[in-house]
Amino acid sequence: MNALYRLIGIRKSHGQRTVLAIDDLALYPGKLYTLTGANGAGKTTLLNLLALLTPPCGGELRYEEEPVRWSNAALLPLRRQVTLLHQSPYLFDGIVFTNVAFGLKLRGIRGEEKQRRVKQALELVGLPGFGQRRARELSGGEAQRVAMARALALEPKVLLLDEPLANVDRATSEYLEGVIAALPGRGTTVIMTTHDPEHPGRLGGELIHLVAGELACRI
Amino acid sequence: MEFLAETFRTAIALILSLDGEVVTAVATSISVALWSILFATLAGVPAGVAVGITEFPGKRLVITILNTLMALPTVVVGLAVYGIISRQGPLGELGILFTPKAMIIGQTVLAIPIVANFTLSTVKGADPRIIPTALTLGAGPFQSVLQLAKELRFGIMAAVIAGFGRVIAEVGVAMMLGGNIRGYTRTMTTAIAMETGKGEFALGLALGIILMAVALLVNLFLNILQQR
Repeated sequence: MNALYRLIGIRKSHGQRTVLAIDDLALYPGKLYTLTGANGAGKTTLLNLLALLTPPCGGELRYEEEPVRWSNAALLPLRRQVTLLHQSPYLFDGIVFTNVAFGLKLRGIRGEEKQRRVKQALELVGLPGFGQRRARELSGGEAQRVAMARALALEPKVLLLDEPLANVDRATSEYLEGVIAALPGRGTTVIMTTHDPEHPGRLGGELIHLVAGELACRI
Repeated sequence: MEFLAETFRTAIALILSLDGEVVTAVATSISVALWSILFATLAGVPAGVAVGITEFPGKRLVITILNTLMALPTVVVGLAVYGIISRQGPLGELGILFTPKAMIIGQTVLAIPIVANFTLSTVKGADPRIIPTALTLGAGPFQSVLQLAKELRFGIMAAVIAGFGRVIAEVGVAMMLGGNIRGYTRTMTTAIAMETGKGEFALGLALGIILMAVALLVNLFLNILQQR
């Protein structure tokens, strides 16, 4: 099976400090991966790399077995297959609908198809009828769900989640866990970071543990 | 005291009667200021955004220069542009000295550092997640910067209004490059200076009241934007 991502001799440093050093790692499509590790273990750095936002200092990143070329023109079509949801997501000023439709508009999806996908994404995260609400007036949990809907509406090949359940109440967390766990079944590869030791067991999939930027174990 | 009260009454009467001299000066002021701020916006906003979001050697120096240019005396701008567009200057053949075009050029130069600096401040204070969020949702670099500008629209509008406030109230550039020609390049500020010098205090006061009203409106609008 072809790997979705393949990391070969990847090095990433901030000044003199190496924050990521992965010699060989392959991630396959349609699976769920949880990245664990202490603060500063390199989880977010790895996600930013996989989101094609920041290039490595050394080594090679392959996407669908093709080496990634770090030029804007080459990155744009790849970035449109991968969506990263930040730990503390930013919602654009305006209503929920325009937020969820943001990425669809960039991809030229308009009219009924856009309406359908926004509606479907909001229903998926348990916020039907929220389209006309002002994004800035939502609670933290609702904002997290809208950000998730904004990512899901794009039907990405890869969904990268940075601590998606860290800042939400228990009810929202349980709800979103269910949404996340169902994604690989819909063909979306999920790679999420977590601090909660119970998440890998509950969500299933494969666990990747990082220590000081290095791959410590893979279960 | 009676003199001031009488002058004030005459000034109000001049405004209410839509005196031709007053109307022409107000129209010239507003028209020149609007064109100037349009050009200053086209140059200043992209410059402010570019300096704000990119890191490059000498960035601190560029910011210091922009800050210094904000305090540029209007007569210095007038002098510099005069040197360029006067008959002996490199652009003397255009023959635009003592025309509204010359005033627009001078006031644009005056407004660019203000618009750029205020835009830069807005960008520096922006949420750092805006551009990465747009990128992760599939925006290209240019689209993500457009989204940043959209999110910061009130701050950018405030920058534009601050520039407008500066150019509508200035006198040095208008006088030196426009020449204060009646019915052509005479603005509110140059007319105030001249009429007061002639002893026509009431006309000067009438224009002063209108200028203050314009400045008040601009500042009220600015305050509303800053509260959003």
